[in-house]
Amino acid sequence: MRYLFTFLAFALVTGTSLYGQMNKISFEQYTLDNGLHVILHQDKTTPIVAVSVMYHVGSKNENPERTGFAHFFEHLMFEGSANIERGEFDNYVQNAGGTLNANTTFDRTYYYEVLPSNQLGLGLWLESERMLHARVDEKGIETQREVVKEERRQRIDNQPYGSILEETFKRSYAVHPYRWPVIGSMAHLEAAEENDYKQFYTDFYVPNNAVLSIAGDIDIAEAKMYIEKYFAGIPKSAKAVYRPRVIEPALAAEIRDTIYDNIQLPAVIQAYRIPAQGTKDYYAVDMVSRILSSGESSRLYRALVDEQQKALFVGNFPLALEDPGVSLSFGITNMGVDVYELEQAIDAEVTKVQNELITEKEFGKLRNQIESEYVTSNSRVAGIAESLATYHMFYGDANLINNEIDRYLAVTREDIQAAAKKYLVKNNRVTLHYLPKSQENKS
Amino acid sequence: MNYIKSLFILVIAGLTACAPKVAKETTTATAPSGDFRSMAPDAGPARQVKIGTSHQFTLANGLRVIVVENHKLPQISYQLTIDRDEMMEKEKAGLAGISGSLLATGTTKNTKAEIDEAVDYIGANLSTGPTGGFASSLTKHTDKVLTLFSDVILKPAFLEAEFDKIKTQTLSGLQTEKDDPNAISGNVSRALTYGASHPYGEITNESTVSNISLEDCKNYYNTYFKPGNAYLVIVGDINPDAAKAKAEKYFGSWAAGKTPEYEYAFPKAVDNTAVAFVDKSGAVQSVINITYPLDMKPGSPDVIPARVLNTILGSGFSGRLFLNLREDKAYTYGAYSSLDADELVGSFSANASVRNEVTDSAITQFLLEIEKLRTEPVSKKELDLAKSFIAGGFARSLESPQTVAGFALNIDMYDLPADYYETYLQRLAAVTIEDVSRVAKKYITPSKARIVIVGNKDEVMNKLNAFDKEDGKIQLYDIYANPRKEESTAEVTLNASEIVENYLTALGGRQKLDDVKSIDQTYSMEVQGTPITSRVVQESGKFYMAMSAQGMNIMKQIYDGEKGVVEQMGQQAPIEGDDLTSLKEQSAFLIERMYNTIGYTTEVKGMEDVDGVACYKLLVTKPSGAKSTEYYDKSSNLKIKEVQTSITQGQTSTLTYEYADYKSVDGILIPHTLTIGGMMPVPLVMKATSIKVNEEVDPSLFKI
Repeated sequence: MRYLFTFLAFALVTGTSLYGQMNKISFEQYTLDNGLHVILHQDKTTPIVAVSVMYHVGSKNENPERTGFAHFFEHLMFEGSANIERGEFDNYVQNAGGTLNANTTFDRTYYYEVLPSNQLGLGLWLESERMLHARVDEKGIETQREVVKEERRQRIDNQPYGSILEETFKRSYAVHPYRWPVIGSMAHLEAAEENDYKQFYTDFYVPNNAVLSIAGDIDIAEAKMYIEKYFAGIPKSAKAVYRPRVIEPALAAEIRDTIYDNIQLPAVIQAYRIPAQGTKDYYAVDMVSRILSSGESSRLYRALVDEQQKALFVGNFPLALEDPGVSLSFGITNMGVDVYELEQAIDAEVTKVQNELITEKEFGKLRNQIESEYVTSNSRVAGIAESLATYHMFYGDANLINNEIDRYLAVTREDIQAAAKKYLVKNNRVTLHYLPKSQENKS
Repeated sequence: MNYIKSLFILVIAGLTACAPKVAKETTTATAPSGDFRSMAPDAGPARQVKIGTSHQFTLANGLRVIVVENHKLPQISYQLTIDRDEMMEKEKAGLAGISGSLLATGTTKNTKAEIDEAVDYIGANLSTGPTGGFASSLTKHTDKVLTLFSDVILKPAFLEAEFDKIKTQTLSGLQTEKDDPNAISGNVSRALTYGASHPYGEITNESTVSNISLEDCKNYYNTYFKPGNAYLVIVGDINPDAAKAKAEKYFGSWAAGKTPEYEYAFPKAVDNTAVAFVDKSGAVQSVINITYPLDMKPGSPDVIPARVLNTILGSGFSGRLFLNLREDKAYTYGAYSSLDADELVGSFSANASVRNEVTDSAITQFLLEIEKLRTEPVSKKELDLAKSFIAGGFARSLESPQTVAGFALNIDMYDLPADYYETYLQRLAAVTIEDVSRVAKKYITPSKARIVIVGNKDEVMNKLNAFDKEDGKIQLYDIYANPRKEESTAEVTLNASEIVENYLTALGGRQKLDDVKSIDQTYSMEVQGTPITSRVVQESGKFYMAMSAQGMNIMKQIYDGEKGVVEQMGQQAPIEGDDLTSLKEQSAFLIERMYNTIGYTTEVKGMEDVDGVACYKLLVTKPSGAKSTEYYDKSSNLKIKEVQTSITQGQTSTLTYEYADYKSVDGILIPHTLTIGGMMPVPLVMKATSIKVNEEVDPSLFKI
């Protein structure tokens, strides 16, 4: 309630309305008979509209023998449909003055177009074609297979520190499908056959596994009319969508390893296993990470970059995932600093959070930062459409776009300390040292 | 620092794998039946694109202020931009960047820690750079953030300690760039395109950064931070009157003044297409950049048709380059181009990262597309598509109030007509196929281009000669665009064995060398200010190496003739596999004596200069496949350099050893200074403090 009070006081002083200041996102939502969940947000400020579909399928839904499929599929899903020739998908959007893209994570695949608002119908037609009867030919598959390999080379193999997440996750998880990277195995992609594609499409690209989220300059009645027209007739899947229910056991002890990469400055990575997004403890872990690395006055930055000058860069980032994820500390040594020295210095800062309750002042800073971030988020319709879909799909409550902040503000100083003690401990982490390749064989 | 930001993005972006997807043919969808799905629905009536208004005024000290009022969010941002002439940094390249960063690290009122704390406490943002700064906060913290912003711009303290810190960070940042093929490509492309006598062509490196003093930074600030050339752009939840009051309160006291003016000769492009190559050993992709300078100023009537032209060639997912190199050939994850107007020198660039084996094919396709664009008119369909793409982007950009402010700033900075952006879409709509052809002939000049490749020289370079129309030879450059000589075998009359034999003779002769039973060497070195001692003992196929600092043992390696161990941080681990083989090799004194007998192959790779010394270059391959390149001084016959390459999982890494200061010990020449590069960010210099030959060695040294 303190948060609201702050705003109320503020509103009185400036004389502007509370809602305007909070940029409350109003929206309407409903579910079609085929299970497709629809969320509509109207904002007429700019004559544009974001049309998006989020499918609840990511790399964690993959067959361990066919890793990389969710992401590869995302590439294929631009190839066309029964009514759209290869190459035309993008031309429709570009001709209309729009833009489009997609991305894949461990947990979901997300497609979107941002169009002039008078082209809402086009966006919905395109997305319904993709959901109903996408079509891919041999040329498309062969081409995209090579393109994905280039993507891997460019983003991971030829990129200093590019393999960090892959190396971290394969050690952090022994049984959970987060153990393989989103981009997957190139050998698996080579081995894929026609039936694999058909099955994946039938299993996951169904209305009861998707959220259609629209934000922008729309007429609600017109939007509903188009949605009924293009989506209502798409059949739902006959069987339940496969969701892995894998409980990853706790790490028995710290896992340590060294990776030799084409880099000049050694780096240390510590990945702590943390609870799933949306849980009470997740928010506390998130707050710990903010203490450690949000802003230049944060503890890791001040101690290691400014005062001790051991790091060129250091931070801690919790990765919010549907199943329990990791919080990643990442530090790059300053020139000439030993990687062990940096690791010990990072540990010392974590230990402080565990041993001493943070001060009221630091706690106040944290809450102010969260308030500022929250108030200024949601400034673009594309971001609003995605947030609404995410909150619905993974938290079951799209309105968290307006009130997730309450969950942060419910976290106490004691909760923060307890989370640091519970999760940011040695036995619960994977530690990697990234060293220049030239040091290999030279130990 | 940009780099830090990109790392953060890397960590976050690594979670998602993105993949725009489009296709290649440009046939229209047909409508075979009355089925409502068979055709895209018609668009509704278009809403007019409106550009918001901005307000402008000038303070008494000359500071120009632009205000865009937008109350959607309770937030205000302040961007300070100093529109100074580009300046040469010369031997102090990096000065402007370091000076700019320094401003936010202490004022006459506050330390850096205090500033950081105050900014973070209100959840605000504050940063400074070479030509200004940026601040933003919630509306309710306006005065707090403006006080901080004004202080860092008007009252910087220039503290020595903060300066040293930024310098170290800059040097560390440069180290990380050395392995980033895109950073290398950017540096070398700019240096070659604009030249060393143009500000755009300067490259910051370790030595230029080392030349910068705190005094230089103060001078930079005093010369260039002047309100007479500055703009303060205020955007957000504030009305123009309030904005004016704040600008006066916080920046009104800034002493009037203007920045100096400079002029530069237009850089000369190459006469014929030239290929420039930067070797990045171990690279799995080649970064290709085809680039040249051009003369097109902002506001020129050519700007919009040129934008249409470039969109057709290489913008977005429907550009010809993307459709050809990605969607048809699958050479790359993405191929794009740019054609930029600039007040001094504009530029063209076409670029992609492609796998090693298709590097030459990709260049061929790039050149075909560029040539086609220059000589053939574009289709009506492509023209319309490009116009829609640009118009759509224009409309979407207006979602951000910063765009409106940016328009106002451009109009003022570049002296554009006041209605330049109001009429932008009309002028775009009026562009014809002939307009595009006209600008294509004018600005698409591949014969003036450099093809800059950063990649794996051994795998890629020999297929590229044909692209060089200057002399059919590829010029090699280092990562800072300094020319490197390419080796040639023609000048060498000796064979590899002779070169090695001459070396052994120069050291003292085979006989003497074979008589060496033990050698015990101690070196001293310094690592980040800490003196370290290293002792290396070789005796009859056994090996001992220890490093210690201030009497404390850091690391030890022992090979007893059969087994090997490494001891580090008090923990012992066995050495096995390839590492053991490598250790075994180290146990032998002067393995060069045995090249012929233990399966090493040697090959003469010609002559090459090493720091001005003419050397024979020898490629030595071990039975394991590991390679090293050795350089033997042509006049003294001594080995002065060795580059060891090891391959792991298909990637190579490199260590460089330089041998100098050869002195005689018991009639054998032994180098007394050893410089090892590539192991640490800075080369490690080892100086011999004691070298003993054939003296008794304590056998317990080799005990495992």
